[in-house]
Amino acid sequence: MKTIFLVDDSATILLSISNILAKAGYAVEKAGNAEEGMKKFQAGVKVDLLITDLNMPGMNGIQFIREVRKLPSYKFMPILFLTTESQQEKRTEAKAAGASGWIVKPATADQLLNTIKLVLR
Amino acid sequence: MDELTSVFVTESREQLAAMEEALLQLETSPGDADLINTVFRPAHTIKGGAGVIECNFIVSFTHVVENALDKLRNGEISVSSDLVAVLLGCGDHIGNLLSVLEAGAPEPDADLKAEGDSLLSRLQRDWLDEPAKSGAGAEDSRPPVIKVDQVHASGGGEVETDSWHISLRFGQNVLRNGMDPLSFLRYLATLGQIVNIETLPDAMPDAEQMDPESCYLGFEIKFKSDVDKAAIEGVFDFVRDECSLHILPPHSKLTDYVTLLQALPENIMRLGEILVKIGALTPSELDEGLQAQQSSLASDGEADTLSPPPPHLGEILVEQRVVQPELVEAAVIKQKQVSDKKAAEARLIRIQADKLDRLIDLVGELVIAGASANLLASRSGQGELTEATSLLSRLVEQIRDSALQLRMVQIGETFNRFQRVVRDVSKELGKEIELAISGADTELDKSVVEKIGDPLMHLVRNAMDHGIEPGEVRAANGKNPRGRLELNAYHDSGSIVIEVADDGGGLNREKILKKAVDKGLVQAGQYLSDQEIANLIFEPGFSTADQVSNLSGRGVGMDVVKRNIQSLRGRVEVSSVEGQGTRFAIRLPLTLAIIDGFLVGAGPAAYVVPLDMVVECLELQAHAAGTGDRNYLNLRGEVLPFIRLRDLFEIPGEPPKRENVVVIKCAGQKAGIVVDTLLGEFQTVIKPLGNLFKHLRGIGGSTILGSGDVALILDVQALVKYSAQHEEQETGYALPLRAGT
Amino acid sequence: MTTGTHRIAILEDMTIYNALAQKANFMEALQECQELEIDLSHVAEIDTAGFQLLLLTKREAAQQNKKARIVAHSPAVREVLDFFNMAAGFGDPLVIPAREQA
Repeated sequence: MKTIFLVDDSATILLSISNILAKAGYAVEKAGNAEEGMKKFQAGVKVDLLITDLNMPGMNGIQFIREVRKLPSYKFMPILFLTTESQQEKRTEAKAAGASGWIVKPATADQLLNTIKLVLR
Repeated sequence: MDELTSVFVTESREQLAAMEEALLQLETSPGDADLINTVFRPAHTIKGGAGVIECNFIVSFTHVVENALDKLRNGEISVSSDLVAVLLGCGDHIGNLLSVLEAGAPEPDADLKAEGDSLLSRLQRDWLDEPAKSGAGAEDSRPPVIKVDQVHASGGGEVETDSWHISLRFGQNVLRNGMDPLSFLRYLATLGQIVNIETLPDAMPDAEQMDPESCYLGFEIKFKSDVDKAAIEGVFDFVRDECSLHILPPHSKLTDYVTLLQALPENIMRLGEILVKIGALTPSELDEGLQAQQSSLASDGEADTLSPPPPHLGEILVEQRVVQPELVEAAVIKQKQVSDKKAAEARLIRIQADKLDRLIDLVGELVIAGASANLLASRSGQGELTEATSLLSRLVEQIRDSALQLRMVQIGETFNRFQRVVRDVSKELGKEIELAISGADTELDKSVVEKIGDPLMHLVRNAMDHGIEPGEVRAANGKNPRGRLELNAYHDSGSIVIEVADDGGGLNREKILKKAVDKGLVQAGQYLSDQEIANLIFEPGFSTADQVSNLSGRGVGMDVVKRNIQSLRGRVEVSSVEGQGTRFAIRLPLTLAIIDGFLVGAGPAAYVVPLDMVVECLELQAHAAGTGDRNYLNLRGEVLPFIRLRDLFEIPGEPPKRENVVVIKCAGQKAGIVVDTLLGEFQTVIKPLGNLFKHLRGIGGSTILGSGDVALILDVQALVKYSAQHEEQETGYALPLRAGT
Repeated sequence: MTTGTHRIAILEDMTIYNALAQKANFMEALQECQELEIDLSHVAEIDTAGFQLLLLTKREAAQQNKKARIVAHSPAVREVLDFFNMAAGFGDPLVIPAREQA
């Protein structure tokens, strides 16, 4: 079973996405901010895909992606970030930090699952 | 309301509070980028969440607010108190919309809608329609727009194939960014059929230079599918920036293929062969195309201007864009500076309150059951059993404390709401008032916090309206024209004390007294202590304001405040120094559910005194106690008024020979309660009294003993007050016992 | 001297995580022989990076007038070569060890 790690400071988003993922048969790990996420990564959590929000209090998503990429075990893991239609400029920045792709909020369950299928190894 | 919606509403309310707090701070430090971000984030999160739960009226309203905040963030508009006021209004409106959602209404009613529209039109008119400051707007930093040109005839016939042709050269960094071209191509295969694919490793350098973590591969793909071009492009969205992608629809013009061949980095002849190999072109098409290309090259050489550049037919071509690393670095460092404190706050678990309540209920039952087991064990006289049950009850005690701790929340959030109130009300009143908050980290039970908001609000408004004088008056009296309001909280022997203090004119003794006489509350000429006069403001129907303003004169008097607080088993006191200010102190129990009790007996019944109010117990010695009507005793030279439970509750029968006194202390006052027997400590789960008994004085609730009997919980505050008053009235002269030590 | 036939068996996944080490492996092995036999029957997983390494090894061998042959494919390897339409291009017989067939 593939494990997807969700990091978002919005409880609404965490809950809705993890509901969709669980229904689609993925194992889900969750964290409410990047610091918590980093801790789990440093502890070596088994993850096949990271989905993170960009705008979070504390460490922001872009810095988070950069830090995760520095960890050898996650150097090549697919990373998706959550974004909105209006945040085009952020995409370039997040990609430069090492993200693989993005999910535009609000996304339907199909859009979400298709995007995951696209990048999951 | 489903779980997701309720999570959304709860979260959004928190977000709104954060936004409001930041907005208020923003007014004083308008240039603070972190603050602006803190204002922006809630709007963004709420909109995102509303999108998830498909609440369109919140999405559409918040969207405009977010736009305005985005402009603020980009420095296109600047902070002004007007903008802050409108944004505060927008925050309130979102709060109202959340209530609409909570109530399950499909959309806001007409009034609310009108309110929202007027807020939005103000935002639109004053801030959004303004032209962006300079050309360096957001547009410029966006990735280049994808060119999707119309396919138009450019000479040459259609090629035969009915398949798409996709030409892909991956960027070197795809693998490093966690993507696998294989995944993309496999995904593509789910949209149709990859009829043929040819791998092109031409870009791969010699072994020595070849970095195995870079991707050098290109692919020519013949793809059969009914999907439209956008769908195929969509597959490569994530790599579009760094790869070159050409898509030719079925039956494209031959010239399109020629253009493609020219655009690709590899040798034309080799590519041509590949296209033939995968079936994109027939050999004769290739020949024809190459000839056309030769002649086009020739004419290009003669006069560039005469022949139009090869049209980019039905293709997308996005150049690689690399963000300057310095820029990114700078942005990252800046955002890193957002305090780590916030991250620490976010390390919380969200639990539905009713789950917690259920736990507390169960712990309550556990406490009762444990007490029962304890009782039986001690009756049985088996040492080991007693030991085991006492260990058990220690653990239950700890569980109880931990469980109650779960429900404890800091009062800070409640206090912070008043920043806004003070700001708005002081503007409305034309008074300059600052709010000082202390003890924000003092914790109290969530259920108490929920109920304390209204009384606090009333006291705060009252202090601003009636307490703090207008600036001119203050200046004339040699005070700082800027008024000061304090909110403070601290723990004091099992209670939480919340203070609302102002540095205003203080209570006007004469005015209150006159009013009280007018209202017939006291008789003219009656002697009243300062404290008694001050307490008159809590009497029903009492208001000293010369004119009723629309703030505190809302028909809710201080008596309601007092009643509300009493219903929480608390009390409110007022102290005032004329000319210097007034201080209201609300004293509340930390929790409403369980207390450590001290069990006493009087007559056949058992009573519980909250343990944290018990100072000591002693035997009542006949000679120390006043006789007959004198209910005080000498406690090591101190005068201690007391009351007899037997008298208070009119318990029939003779008291035992040896009576005991439980010395209790509440709000600095001590008193004694005379009881028959002392039965020891007892964990008490408070069961509220039914409505019928609501007006009983001196009883705060009931509890069930281990034996199954009911014990009444004494309302110590009321008893202390009662005994003190009683004593004051009985003895109008200097107390002789004070001379002792 | 570079003589004779060498055989290497890849036991780990041929994914990007191992690409750096495996590239060195392949290049060293190729250095030391005239004909390199590559046993991929134990490769449980292979991605684009692994596939690319095979392309590199094949090409290097050809440039040095040597031979690099894949003598055994795991199902994962065969699937990827099939997908990229390279089975024919590599020209190696697709031998699947019996124990993998089940």
